[in-house]
Amino acid sequence: MKFFFKPKTRDEQHLIQRLIDGDQHAFEQVVSEYHNIMLSVARAIVGEAFADEVVQEAWVSAIKALPKFEGRSSLKTWLVHIASNGAKSRVRRENRHVSLDEGWESVSADKFDNIGHRFDDIYAWDNETPEAILANEQLQSIIESSFQQLPALQRAALTLYDMEGIKMEEICNILDISASNLRVLLHRARTTLHHSIEQYQDNEK
Amino acid sequence: MYQCKDIADEVNSYIDGALPLTKRVGLFFHLLLCSCCRNYLQQIRTTISVITVSHPKERDNTDTKALAQHLHALCKHDH
Repeated sequence: MKFFFKPKTRDEQHLIQRLIDGDQHAFEQVVSEYHNIMLSVARAIVGEAFADEVVQEAWVSAIKALPKFEGRSSLKTWLVHIASNGAKSRVRRENRHVSLDEGWESVSADKFDNIGHRFDDIYAWDNETPEAILANEQLQSIIESSFQQLPALQRAALTLYDMEGIKMEEICNILDISASNLRVLLHRARTTLHHSIEQYQDNEK
Repeated sequence: MYQCKDIADEVNSYIDGALPLTKRVGLFFHLLLCSCCRNYLQQIRTTISVITVSHPKERDNTDTKALAQHLHALCKHDH
């Protein structure tokens, strides 16, 4: 069961008011909380080369528009949309196209016979819980590195859906992709990370 | 009749509840019969939980404190 975050809380209203009032700590809080996710979205849409610039411009636009923020979405979603819109405009200007197939290697077909049965047995992992897996520092570093090697669109899909709990429809809008493409991106990203954990578990046996 | 390869191809859509009912039921029956695929499904569920809990981040060299100061200065100037 997937849990989605509520659009706006009283804490967030307070944070927005502190921003409007010019509280320095509030600025540090929002930048440290949301810069990374805005960067992820910008990289997915416009690519590495222009993403930093797009996000900096998005922050400036957001701060200027803050007094007009109506709170119909969460602050996070609002900021992500501003970054996404900036990146989409930049894509149009640069005429750039990011391929969905960038960096994808399909699951090896030689794992199955001609009717689709697996050749090898799959056993339950020794470390079954996420806590047990993450307690292993080497494995944690493998997961981090595997995530960073994913194509930008896959990282953004994973970040927005699995980590930030944003709904599929909203993500499609942010990244300007269809629902089926989003499912493909999630499938590929999770499968790649699963492989890296699986390989580690196999080597440890 | 669905096979192990179908589970491998559709496991994420199955977990996210994004499959049509007939396909979902078909995969469910395969899972009842195949312990390998049950283990595979459980491994993918664990992978998703690991991603959610570990929350890996984008590589980023931005000086966020300097950016916050810049935005703060801009806000004081504008509002």
